[in-house]
Amino acid sequence: MVYDISKLTDFHYSALKEISNIGIGNAVTSLAEMMGSEIKIMTPSLKVARIEKVTEFSGGADKLVSGVLMELAGGVNGYMVILLPPESAQLICNTMTKKEYSDITDPMNESLISEVGHILGSTYITAFSDFLKVDVFASAPFHTYDMIGAIMDNILIHMSQEVEHAIILDTLFTLKGNDMHGKLLTLFDPISLELILKHVDAMFC
Amino acid sequence: MIVVGMADYAVTRSPDKLTTLGLGSCVGIALYDPVAKIGGLIHIMLPTIENARFTDNCAKFADSGIPIVIQEMVSIGAVRRRLVAKIAGGAKMFSFNSDVNLNIGERNIQATKIVLTEMKIPLIAEDVGKNYGRTVVLDTDTGVYHIKSAIKGENLI
Repeated sequence: MVYDISKLTDFHYSALKEISNIGIGNAVTSLAEMMGSEIKIMTPSLKVARIEKVTEFSGGADKLVSGVLMELAGGVNGYMVILLPPESAQLICNTMTKKEYSDITDPMNESLISEVGHILGSTYITAFSDFLKVDVFASAPFHTYDMIGAIMDNILIHMSQEVEHAIILDTLFTLKGNDMHGKLLTLFDPISLELILKHVDAMFC
Repeated sequence: MIVVGMADYAVTRSPDKLTTLGLGSCVGIALYDPVAKIGGLIHIMLPTIENARFTDNCAKFADSGIPIVIQEMVSIGAVRRRLVAKIAGGAKMFSFNSDVNLNIGERNIQATKIVLTEMKIPLIAEDVGKNYGRTVVLDTDTGVYHIKSAIKGENLI
C-alpha cells in the first residue's frame, strides 16, 4: 500500500498523535525529575506541510529561542528539534546550576541546555522506536540560541533536497509551578512516514 | 511591510518595505533601482535548480529565482542596467558530523554571486556567513538594507 501523505486517514492521524504522546510523556517525565516539578503536556498536533512553510508553523521565523537539534537515523530518517523560549532555557539553567541568573549564551549553559535537550529527545525517540519496533538513533545534540527560522532552515534545506513535504509532530509541554514551556518538533521524510504507517497498520489492522 | 516567506519573493516600489525573517543558511537577495525606487527581495534556499528533484518553485534556487525577480521589477518600471544588489545570510548554523553538503550557506552565497555576475548586476554590499541568523528589511525609499541579528545587533548596508 502506498500512503499519500497529503491524504492521511483519521486513523493514521490519531495513531501518530498517540505514539507521539507516549514519547513526549516519557521525555517530559525525565525533565520533570531533573527539575523537580509537575508537568502538563498538550495533545500533540500533527501537520503535513510543504518544507517552505514549516517555520511558519513553528511559531514565527524571527522569534528568539534556544534550540537543540538532533538528526534521526536508522529505521526512520529525519530531525528532532526542541525549542525553548529564552526564559524557559534560563529557568532550566538556574534550576540546575542553583544560580539566580544564568546567561544562556554562556558555553557552560549552552552545553547544559544541549544535554537537557538530548535527554528529552532521546527519551522521546526511544519510546517511539520501542513502540514501533524500529531502530532509531538520535545524533549528538547541537545547540544554538537564535531565531527559529535560522535554526530550522538548515534542516529544511537538507530535507528539501529529498522531499517536498515534512511531517511535523508538534508537542507543547509546560512544567507546572515553574512556568516553563517548550516545543518538541519531529520532522520525518515521507519514506520514513510510510514505514511508520506500515507498522501502525500491522499492529492494529 | 511586505513579508517574503522562505523560497519566495516580492517586488514593490517606494515607500513600501520588504522583509524576510530568520535567514540562517538561506540567502536574502535585495535588488534595487535607485532612480525608479523599485525594490525586490528573494529568500533562496539552495544554489541551483540544476539536478534538483523538485523544480516547481523557482524562487527556491539562486539561479532560477534571481532572474524572475529582475523580470518582475522591470515589468513595473525598473531599468535593468540601474539595478544593484545587496545580500545577507548564508550562515553556518550547525556543524553536523554526517553533513555531506558541507556548508550549504557558503554554497548559497557563492551561487548568488555567480548569478549576479552573470547578469551584470553589481553587488554593492553584503553581510554574510558567520554562525548566526539574520532578519532583513529592504527600504525601497532609500535602498538601505537593514540587517538585524540576535547576537550581533543591527547593521545597515
